Amino acid sequence: MAKKIMVVDDDPVIVKYIVALFRDNGYLTCAASNGLEAYEMLKQEKPDLITLDLEMSEEWGPKFYRRLSKEEEFKDIPVVVVSGLAGRHLSIRKAVAYLGKPFEPAELLDIVKKTLGA
Amino acid sequence: MSEPILIVDDEEGVREMLALLLSDSGFRVFTAENGKQALQIIGDYRPQIVICDIKMPGMNGIELLRRIKTEAPDTEIITMSGHGDMELAIQSLIFEAADFITKPVNGEALEIALERVHEKIRTRAALKEYTRNLERLVKEKSERLLETEKLATQRYQQLAQKFEQLFDEVPCYISVHDTDYRLTAVNRRFKEDFGDCTGSRCFEAYKNLREPCPECPVMKTFKDGQPHYSEEILISKSFEQLNVLTWTTPIRDPDGEITQVMSMSHDVTKVRKLQNHLSSLGLLIGTISHAVKGLLTGLDGGMYMVNSGFTKADRQLVSEGWDTVTLVVGRLRKLIMDILYYAKERELEWEEAPVLRFSEEVASTIEFKLAAQKIEFERDFDQSSGTLELDLSLVHSALMNIFENAIETCIEDKSKTAHRIIFRVEGDQDSVFFHVRDNGVGMDTETKQKLFTMFFSSKGQKGTGLGLFVSNQVIRQHGGTINVQSEPGEGSCFTIRLPRSRKWASKDHL
Repeated sequence: MAKKIMVVDDDPVIVKYIVALFRDNGYLTCAASNGLEAYEMLKQEKPDLITLDLEMSEEWGPKFYRRLSKEEEFKDIPVVVVSGLAGRHLSIRKAVAYLGKPFEPAELLDIVKKTLGA
Repeated sequence: MSEPILIVDDEEGVREMLALLLSDSGFRVFTAENGKQALQIIGDYRPQIVICDIKMPGMNGIELLRRIKTEAPDTEIITMSGHGDMELAIQSLIFEAADFITKPVNGEALEIALERVHEKIRTRAALKEYTRNLERLVKEKSERLLETEKLATQRYQQLAQKFEQLFDEVPCYISVHDTDYRLTAVNRRFKEDFGDCTGSRCFEAYKNLREPCPECPVMKTFKDGQPHYSEEILISKSFEQLNVLTWTTPIRDPDGEITQVMSMSHDVTKVRKLQNHLSSLGLLIGTISHAVKGLLTGLDGGMYMVNSGFTKADRQLVSEGWDTVTLVVGRLRKLIMDILYYAKERELEWEEAPVLRFSEEVASTIEFKLAAQKIEFERDFDQSSGTLELDLSLVHSALMNIFENAIETCIEDKSKTAHRIIFRVEGDQDSVFFHVRDNGVGMDTETKQKLFTMFFSSKGQKGTGLGLFVSNQVIRQHGGTINVQSEPGEGSCFTIRLPRSRKWASKDHL
């Protein structure tokens, strides 16, 4: 069964981009534009991996991550940080990878592939 | 030519006898039988020696003696009188007769008397010569002295003139201060821009202050005799702010005591304005770089979809992708136009915003920045703080700089285990106050003073010295102020005051 990836970013253009990238490579996707939405989506969709932007209008990436990491059910979901912030590598300690913006699509796919083992 | 001599006697026999004797001795002899005749001959022939009887009818010898001494004081007179007339002899000596002989005249006595008179004349001539020489010498010396003095005065005047010219013409402000901060002299350049404030105190004259500036470089020079250097802001007579670099140097009296201090200031306002402009541009680039990264990613997305659409022969996808590209390029264009516009001139983009919402936005950005640090963050917002007019993004950046500074000082401070930053917002009728308090390393007085100076950084490699300078500029452009309270080891509190209305905004930006 195909793995599911949740894309969290407040820029719809970027969401559309990353979602298209994953779909074209055989993943299922869901998306959210801020931390609050992402939390709801998380409970509904139970994704296998999350790409997370940091600076978003409603609730920021790090806060969402703190909530996620407190729940037994979700705390082991791998998170890939995709953000243009210079200090992104300091933001979420357990992230599997940190990608800047703009990123290389092949690199993102490679990280996802290795993390999900498929 | 032989020496003239005059014999005065009423007795013809005496005259003849003496004339014979003296002619033999080589004198050119004149004779007179009374005082009147004698004076006549003295006036005509100027004999050096006169031999004169005392007892004569008419003008007697004493009387004649006195007149000769008055009319021809150099004439030497030998008086003659009969035996026993000691009284007359003494009297004649009192009236400066050279000698006295008794009658009848003994040739030997006359010879001795004449020899003595000659001796006296020679001595006097020598003395006269000596005096004349001395006078000449004194005159020569004084003339030379006068000449030297004249030269010296001339050179001094030239030098003084040169100094004054230099003092006035140098392209910087020069002022001379006494120990009471009073200006004792200022140069022309200074007068042009600050008026002639000689006599007034420096901090009142061109700083608009009521008391001396802390860390006054002039006073430092008075104290240690060393030159000092500082950057100052002066207020001109037309109320313009001038940034100057100031050097001070002591002026000593001949005993080496410092009596005054000279201060030379160079106007760097234009340089500072240019730096301002550059640094604002730097700030702009910092704040937009995030946006640029997002837009570039969006562009990647659009291109990806267009490519993907072509590969799958999916017109819909191509069209969707192209829409994305168009959208993102549009945003990029706007951004680039903004930068180009900004590079020329930056006007504030005023909008009215609720203080509370703006503060919340700032706070959430900070919370994100603090996420990775063990620093507690506390909000203390006045819920009824109203609205204010401001350029949202600029003030946001300005506050960010202050918060970043607070975070740095907390990280740097190893003396405490718990760190905390408090963000308090309150307002009164005219102004809104943002307080940013940290318990980091704090600052000493000097750091506090230089805090808002361009390129001053206490953070070594980590700081550019731009952040707080730019914050200060932004707040001032809004007509607001930044104050700092801080103690080393205790932390700092920055208070940013912004007027609620834009009518207080400063027109003097860039």
